[in-house]
Amino acid sequence: MKRIEEQTHYEILEVSPDADLKEIQRAYDHAKETFHADSPAIYSLFSEEEMRKIQAAIEEAYRVLMDEALRKSYHQSHSHLIERSSSEKQTEKSVKSSEIKSSLSFTDLSIEVGEMTYRGRSLKQIREKLGIDLKAISAKTKINIKTLELIEEEDLEHLPAMVYLKGFLKAYARALNLDAQKLIEGYFELFKEKGKK
Amino acid sequence: MTRDHHQRVIWTIGGGKGGSGKSFITTNIGICLSKLGARVILIDADLGGANLHTFLGILPPGPTLSDFIKKRVSHLKEALIHTGVPNLQLLTGAQDLLNAADAKSAQKRKLLRSIKSLESDYILVDLGGGNALSVLDFFLMSDGGILVATPEPTSIENTYRFLKSAFYRRLRQAVSSFSAKSLIDEAMDRKNEAGIRTPYELLREVRRINEEDGRKMVEEAATFHPNLILNQVRSKKDIEIGFSIRSACQKYFGIQLHYLGYIVYDQDVGNSIRKRRPLVLENYRSKAAQCVSEIASRLADSHRMPHGI
Repeated sequence: MKRIEEQTHYEILEVSPDADLKEIQRAYDHAKETFHADSPAIYSLFSEEEMRKIQAAIEEAYRVLMDEALRKSYHQSHSHLIERSSSEKQTEKSVKSSEIKSSLSFTDLSIEVGEMTYRGRSLKQIREKLGIDLKAISAKTKINIKTLELIEEEDLEHLPAMVYLKGFLKAYARALNLDAQKLIEGYFELFKEKGKK
Repeated sequence: MTRDHHQRVIWTIGGGKGGSGKSFITTNIGICLSKLGARVILIDADLGGANLHTFLGILPPGPTLSDFIKKRVSHLKEALIHTGVPNLQLLTGAQDLLNAADAKSAQKRKLLRSIKSLESDYILVDLGGGNALSVLDFFLMSDGGILVATPEPTSIENTYRFLKSAFYRRLRQAVSSFSAKSLIDEAMDRKNEAGIRTPYELLREVRRINEEDGRKMVEEAATFHPNLILNQVRSKKDIEIGFSIRSACQKYFGIQLHYLGYIVYDQDVGNSIRKRRPLVLENYRSKAAQCVSEIASRLADSHRMPHGI
């Protein structure tokens, strides 16, 4: 039982202290979706003030943990807290992995949730935060770099029509472990906005 | 779950609203476990209208728990009914005792002891909705009670309300000083004078008056692991609400909720209930039946089966 103010960045995002950037990104997406004014899971539990506190803590945790230098210095200044919680988390983590093992239905479920969609620019941001360069994505997806760049720049003029584009978007999203559907939706919105103009 | 030297495991199913599917789930999980070769007893303690027998397609039962309480039968096992499903027995009438406002706590304790002494591998208690104190006590008699909710805000709100009552009841049992107990009682009232709105504020106040009881509260929170089944989910987004509920419980109560699984919304469920034939027997291939059977396997997996599978 720890109040929000007492929880470490890792506890706020419910990740282990050795979580990699992908895990942190996913945990952040999940936390953002969960502690959102319209989320049914928080209904009747938190006051507006508490929600603001939690949301601020989530943003702060994400900001620090996604930045290598900030995370390092946070680790140093909070080492006593993190060390302790890391041993606690370890048991929790082993519980979770057994949870996953015994459940077929949860294994193919990614925990990125919600209404949030990805677009080219957010994709680029996530990719850069993960420290993956376009070449690696290109090698993984067999999509040429030029096309990937166009996707990130949201250059609808030079990109193929949505019917053809879909496959590329799907492959790219998967390469980053993101929900492909959300990228496709984001792009649909882009096309729609463009059409209006 | 509660286990003694007989390897008996008790799961209590409760919380939230009526209509979220607790009786359906109790019946069908029970059948799945019995099909795995375990001896299973279902106990009907639903205050809102006990009718597990209808879910099982058998007639309103003859002997009930009341016969045991009124000493018409000498041992609880004589009030057990065969369900027609191998390895599966039913005990009804527990709701009468839970309902009776004047039921003496000695009587309740005796009943709890008798239930715990029944010869079985699994005992599933359907508590129905509502959060009367005696329902909470039954819920807490297994360390891992199961909450059933649907993805609607109304159902989730009721589930949280039940969880809060159960959690505070458990804390109340754990602390020893009278002042801490009365503080917890006060905190149950939303508009309490002490202004306690959250478990953390309660903890802070208890610590102020009794450090030792504060420590016990933290201990209780760390060992309280309720389970959640999300019923009637219609989308991937619904499924993910379960994970969000888990996160919300961690932030609000500081407890670790276990998301046991979900059951998809399925027309076949309604059809099977109308036919008075349990879904996992009537239509094992339906989506909902598959979900139920997966949850049952997870429950069974969490213990070594005494007879092997």
